[in-house]
This record gives sequence, structure tokens and C-alpha cells, in this order.
Amino acid sequence: MKRALRDNGLSIGFGLLFLAALIGQAFAGQAAYNDRQLADAGAQVTLVQYVTSSDFAVDVAENWQSEYLQFFLYVFATVWLVQRGSPESKRVEETGTEPDREQKVGRFATADSPAWARAGGWRTAVFSRSLGAVMGVLFGLSWLAQSIAGRSANNAERLAQLQDPLTWLGYVGSADFWNRTLQNWQSEFLAIGSIAVISVYLRQRGSPESKPVGESHDTTETSG
Amino acid sequence: MRRWGGLACALAVCGGAVAGCGAGQRGDAAAAAAEAFVSALREGDGAAACAALATETAQGLAASEGAPCEEAIGALGLPDAAPSAVDVWSDRAQVRTRDDVLFLAEFEDGWKVVAAGCRPQGERPYECEVGA
Repeated sequence: MKRALRDNGLSIGFGLLFLAALIGQAFAGQAAYNDRQLADAGAQVTLVQYVTSSDFAVDVAENWQSEYLQFFLYVFATVWLVQRGSPESKRVEETGTEPDREQKVGRFATADSPAWARAGGWRTAVFSRSLGAVMGVLFGLSWLAQSIAGRSANNAERLAQLQDPLTWLGYVGSADFWNRTLQNWQSEFLAIGSIAVISVYLRQRGSPESKPVGESHDTTETSG
Repeated sequence: MRRWGGLACALAVCGGAVAGCGAGQRGDAAAAAAEAFVSALREGDGAAACAALATETAQGLAASEGAPCEEAIGALGLPDAAPSAVDVWSDRAQVRTRDDVLFLAEFEDGWKVVAAGCRPQGERPYECEVGA
């Protein structure tokens, strides 16, 4: 048990942080929503009503989609884009999908390689892109959820302001949808760019996101 | 990451559910509240018409007209055709009749009319005789 906790500390730790933050968001979001309801002469809602509302769903989904977009782009972009000296990047001369030998696929697979890495053909082709593809699908689903829940929440606001509701296409082309979307995207892109560059020059002892403390600024793709 | 995938799928489904499910029943309730309002107008029953209004809307009408809501509402000559279409989003609804657009909100005691006698103003909010 103790060993299982230690071996999965990262997923368990962040899973708990996620739940704590989501619960906190639910309470804070309910308070903010009820404040707006007072101004719009609407009814107050309970916590359960709020967490099943489109207002809560869109606030959650808009952040999820941007996080999955971040990882989707990061997984794909780092195949081709490098940052000399960054532990977040591979070496400059290794850009691209790399030879089968380095990737341990097909006849270069080892005894403990995943079955689909050994299989060759379409299975290896699919498995070779599965991480980015799943991130992309999760991004797409989250963004779709944002558009559906966002339309619902926005239409309720529009009716409260005595305006006509929007169709889904109308909402996807609206300022509200793109404001929610782009304000999340810009922060994700800034964070990726920042860690790629700052990690060239700064260190965090013991972190795999950092180079070893004494490693040269010029060394790329080394973690410690 | 599989765990996150499940949550993302659940969210996508929930997003759809929040947007779509339950709209039918709630739409019927909102249309019934609008029908209660317009039928009261048709019958000249000011008290019943004001009872179908949201409290703030009724109070606003009385204040702006300088008369009790029951008296003021009949004098406005609001359209009184039956509801023909309803659009519900969360706790808000828009009900269309042949010659009017009404806006409703859901309170603890049910759907109430918050604005009536509304005319479109392009991109700007509707201009309403009651509840603007």
C-alpha cells in the first residue's frame, strides 16, 4: 500500500489537488453566480443546482480544453521544434520522428516493448501517435463541451438582459466563446514558452523538469 | 490520463445534458406561466395578471405608473395572444405570441413574467413596456 502510494505519488497528488480545486471552484462559483442573480433579479441556487448548471460546466470546460490543447500541441510540436539548452527539448540534431532504432519499434523493439510497438504496420503507426492523438481528442471533446455549456449559460444571460438567444453556430462565432477560449490559450502558450526558455538558465535540484544543477546552459535534453 | 479522459467525456455529455435535457418540461411550465399572464389580460383580470409578474416587475410597474399594479396593467393595452413558441435557457425563458415577446424567470414559486410588451431593437436589448 505504502509502496503503491509512493510509486503513484504524482498522479495521486495531482488528483487530490484537482478535486480540492474543483470543490473550491464550485463554492466560489456558486457565490459569484448568486451575486449576479441578485443583480438580475433571478432566484438564488443551491450548490447542487450550481454544479449541475451550464455556468459551472462552461467554467470547467474552458480550462480543461486549454490544458489538453497545451499538451496536444506540446507533444506534437516538440517532435519538430527544439530549444537549445532546454531540458524540455530534445537535442537540436534529433528533430523529426527519429529512426526506428531510437524509437525501438518493429525489429528494433525489445522484449519489454509494448505489443503494438513490436507489431509493425498500422498498429505501430497508431501506437506511435497515440499520446498526441488522445490529447487531441480530449481537447476536442472539452472544447465541444465548452461550446455547448457556454451557449446555454450565455443564452440565459442574454435572456436576463432581454436579448434573443443564439444558435450554436451563432455562439461559436460570438465574442463570449472566443474571449473564453483565447484568454485560456494565451496563458497556456506563455507557460510553455516560459518553461522552455527559463529552464535553459535556471535549475530545480532533483526535478526531472530541470537539468542537473551543475549542468551547462548549453546542454539540451538532460534532466536531473 | 485515462481518468482525465473519462472526466472529459463525462463533461461533454453533461454539457449536452445541461443544455438540452429537461428543456421540454420546463418549457411547458414557462409557456403555462405566460399563458396565465396573457389570459388574465384578455379577461381584464388585473390582479391575476400582476400575480403572474415577477415581484420586482410588478413593483416597478406600480412605481412608474403611480398606481397599483392591478390598475396600471390593464391601462397599458398589452398584447394578449396565446403563446406560440418558447425558448428556455437555465432559469430564463423567452415566450413568443403572435404579436408580443415576453421574458420570464424561474423563482421558488415558479415561472414569472419579468418583461412583456417587448419590441426588438436590433442587437440591443428589447424595449419592453413592462419590466424594461
